[in-house]
Amino acid sequence: MSNQALLERPAAVPAPTSRKGRGPQGIARLMPYAFVVLPAAYLLVFMFYPLGRQVYLSLTRTRLANPNRSEFIGFGNYERLFGNPEFYSVLRITLTYSIMAVVLGVAVGMIAALALNRPFRGRTLVRGVLLFGWAVPNVAAALVWLWIFNERSGILNTVVTGLGLERISWLTSTDMALPSILLVTVWQVAPFVMLVMLAALQSVPEEVKEAAVIDGADKLSVFRAVTLPHILPTLQLVSLLVMVWSIRRFDIIYLLTGGGPVGSTSTLIVKLRQVAFENHDLGMSSAYGVVGLMLALTVAAIHALFNIRRQRSSSR
Amino acid sequence: MTSKRLTSLLHVVLVLALVIFGGFPIYWMATTALSLNSELYNTGQVPWPQLGNLPAMLTDLTQLPLMRWLVNTGIIAVGTTTLSLVLGALAGYALSRFRFHGKGALGFLMFMTQVVPEALILVPLYAMFITLGLLNSLLGLVLANVGFSLPVAAFIIKGAIDAVPYEIEESAAVDGCPRISVLTMIVLPIIAPSLAAAAVISFFAGWNEYLFAATFLRDRELWPASVGLASFIGQYETPLSAVMGAALIFSLPAVVFFLLIQRKIVAGITAGAVKG
Repeated sequence: MSNQALLERPAAVPAPTSRKGRGPQGIARLMPYAFVVLPAAYLLVFMFYPLGRQVYLSLTRTRLANPNRSEFIGFGNYERLFGNPEFYSVLRITLTYSIMAVVLGVAVGMIAALALNRPFRGRTLVRGVLLFGWAVPNVAAALVWLWIFNERSGILNTVVTGLGLERISWLTSTDMALPSILLVTVWQVAPFVMLVMLAALQSVPEEVKEAAVIDGADKLSVFRAVTLPHILPTLQLVSLLVMVWSIRRFDIIYLLTGGGPVGSTSTLIVKLRQVAFENHDLGMSSAYGVVGLMLALTVAAIHALFNIRRQRSSSR
Repeated sequence: MTSKRLTSLLHVVLVLALVIFGGFPIYWMATTALSLNSELYNTGQVPWPQLGNLPAMLTDLTQLPLMRWLVNTGIIAVGTTTLSLVLGALAGYALSRFRFHGKGALGFLMFMTQVVPEALILVPLYAMFITLGLLNSLLGLVLANVGFSLPVAAFIIKGAIDAVPYEIEESAAVDGCPRISVLTMIVLPIIAPSLAAAAVISFFAGWNEYLFAATFLRDRELWPASVGLASFIGQYETPLSAVMGAALIFSLPAVVFFLLIQRKIVAGITAGAVKG
């Protein structure tokens, strides 16, 4: 059942706007709003008002010491931002991080899903263990990975020096910090990909696969011709989700490196916090954030486009 | 035959590699918690858990205000869950059963919350909470968290109600039962498993949350475990074994509950993304 809920809309429920025996029509028509007013108001006050306020802040000069007093300066922050080479480096790091998180996270998650899709003893236990990275809270994950990456006493460098190699500065060198963070990201993201893809793989109709085998197809061509087309929409969805989450991700990067060394792991969102709370420049910080939001929205819009096209072609 | 044996060997190796990658950090957390600090920084870490060190670790743990942190974490998590479920049930029911103006807009706004980075509304919420006197309070954190967890709860609940036949409600409505009672007394009990899933997700959204708590709370007395544990980063006075023990205790409930409801969570998250 849950497999189906992944991608298919449930059958439409008749919408009972006006039915007999429910009093005057006018009141029945207002009924939906009685249900919706509280959650909608909540989101407007605690999500969309702050969001709008943040976008407005990017058009102002505002200092952290006095966040409620701001001076409107139009696109001044954006002009300074786009003229600043640092911005392009932050943008490049954000894109590198997000794209690599998708590629590696989806690859590892997909491989895990395929490995778990055939029955073997202890499969449930293995699936449980593989989910750890997804279930462990960010702060706890950061603590243990910091210790694993520890330059002097961490297990990784114990292994590395045991092999006779030089110690590696996993989180404190500009060329290793981003790959190290990606390793942790894959550990956190791949389990989710695995769960979703496993559900998709298990919903591939067995009859079609069997028919293909009877027709003499080998395993690889069955996968290409039957399985892959069936799971492709889910794969797309999961890639786009991982991309959006990577653009949004803050905790694990901030806790592992704080965006350093020398800004080498500073994504838009990490930079946003730094500019706000270390440079006290709320206007500029918001400009970074708005660029991050635009990036995430672009990805979400691509996802929506895929969705619409898929629905059109399936309704035909 | 031999090629078949080779594939199963490869399969075993692959599964083994995945288990090591996925499970090692937790294993290492436990192993480190059960180590002596002299080993960790000088003689080298023993790579298996030494249960004999458990009493020493527990003694070290009592020096941390872990209990207070967990109570604060629990308050935030319970508050986030309660508010998310109440508001999420209202929104989920309306999205599933009614047709009304602005329904598409509401669905879109709820989907949007999953795209918005927490950090993006951090400063405006900070300013707003100064004005409302909510800055240094657990209630403020709950209010901030619910903005993100309410839509997820609503999507899960909507999906579950979609699968409930409408006829069940109709008879109750004919008997003159008010619509809100139809929801609370008939529909919600039927979808209890999905409600539980939504509850677990909201609970751990509140349990794990770090950024808002680290920014909004000034009193150490109010710190949740996430902020308390993060304060050990870059600090060497607290024994590492105690830090890892605390991290393990903090992680355990999340791991247990996520494993219990893993399938429902996936269905909920992807349902929101697909149908939003």
